[in-house]
Amino acid sequence: MLSRIAPGVCTQATMVVNQQQSRNMATLKSIQIRLKSVKNIQKITQSMKMVSAAKYTRAERELKAARPYGEGAVMFYENAEVTAPEDEPKQLYIAMTSDRGLCGAVHTGVSKVIRTRLSEPGAENIKVICVGDKSRGILQRLYGKHIISVVNEIGRQPPTFGDAAVIANAILNSGYDFGSGKIIYNKFKSVVSYMQSDLPIFSQKAVESAPKLATYDSLDADVIQSYMEFSLASMLFFALKEGACSEQSSRMTAMDNASKNAGEMIEKLTLTFNRTRQAVITRELIEIISGAAALE
Amino acid sequence: MSAWRQAGLNYINYSNVAAKILRRSLKPEFRTEALRRDESHVRITPWANGKPAQRLNAIYIIHRSSADCT
Repeated sequence: MLSRIAPGVCTQATMVVNQQQSRNMATLKSIQIRLKSVKNIQKITQSMKMVSAAKYTRAERELKAARPYGEGAVMFYENAEVTAPEDEPKQLYIAMTSDRGLCGAVHTGVSKVIRTRLSEPGAENIKVICVGDKSRGILQRLYGKHIISVVNEIGRQPPTFGDAAVIANAILNSGYDFGSGKIIYNKFKSVVSYMQSDLPIFSQKAVESAPKLATYDSLDADVIQSYMEFSLASMLFFALKEGACSEQSSRMTAMDNASKNAGEMIEKLTLTFNRTRQAVITRELIEIISGAAALE
Repeated sequence: MSAWRQAGLNYINYSNVAAKILRRSLKPEFRTEALRRDESHVRITPWANGKPAQRLNAIYIIHRSSADCT
């Protein structure tokens, strides 16, 4: 640092002295700079943790309200024993992630499930909708041809039913006639754990030919169509909420760990810094004393 | 066949319009909170062959139909 601002006119001897000094100064200085930046990073991770903790409490509260939407829809499929139609191999996978990173493995987990599925036989009949930029980023290089839609601007604000409705509309209007499909999302279990889970989606034809559809009364094609549309939107809404909640909780843990690691680093750097400073002082003292001794 | 489906709406659009009207007819103290749930920020890009494709007209229609009832 100092050698850079040293004037070029100085003699060789002073240059050497300058460099010698600046090297010692630089190590001390560089440690200081590093220490400062690590401290700043710690401040940032700590405040990110606070922010996500606040967002998490809200997300969890909203998730509780959103649960019946998803569970109700899944119950219908279970009670009616809807199965994927054999004559329609086309499948649709929806990856529920968000645009934001720095939250542990929530996005990679979801993308990995889809990647594994796409590497198995029969993958040519699968199309993927990426909800959130993160899953798109992971999947686009190898499996870009499978992606039919990308949804972004997810994760800045808590998801609303309007968001889910827009996505559901896009799926219905995409012109892709799938027989069945899955919504892959992170199911929130507790503050410290979540796991990849899936919700089934079916075409109207699959529901109409379900063996136990008679459990439900007064169903005609019109009602089923309306219900299918609505249940798609509500399952998407539920998956969005689950995903948002797991993401915030995971970000909280990730940022907590990051702050802890930064703290450890700060401790080590402070120690090195003090030791180096001490060494510099000692060396200077030795130089002065031995200089004085030489003059005597 | 119901009138709204003949008009080209699906159930999602139809129930969204109904929900929007309901939210607007709430008392003022509940309305601001409810209207916040009304917003949607997501953006959808159709993809083809591993690249973003042209915007579908269908999506435009959805946006228009939800904008029409405002």
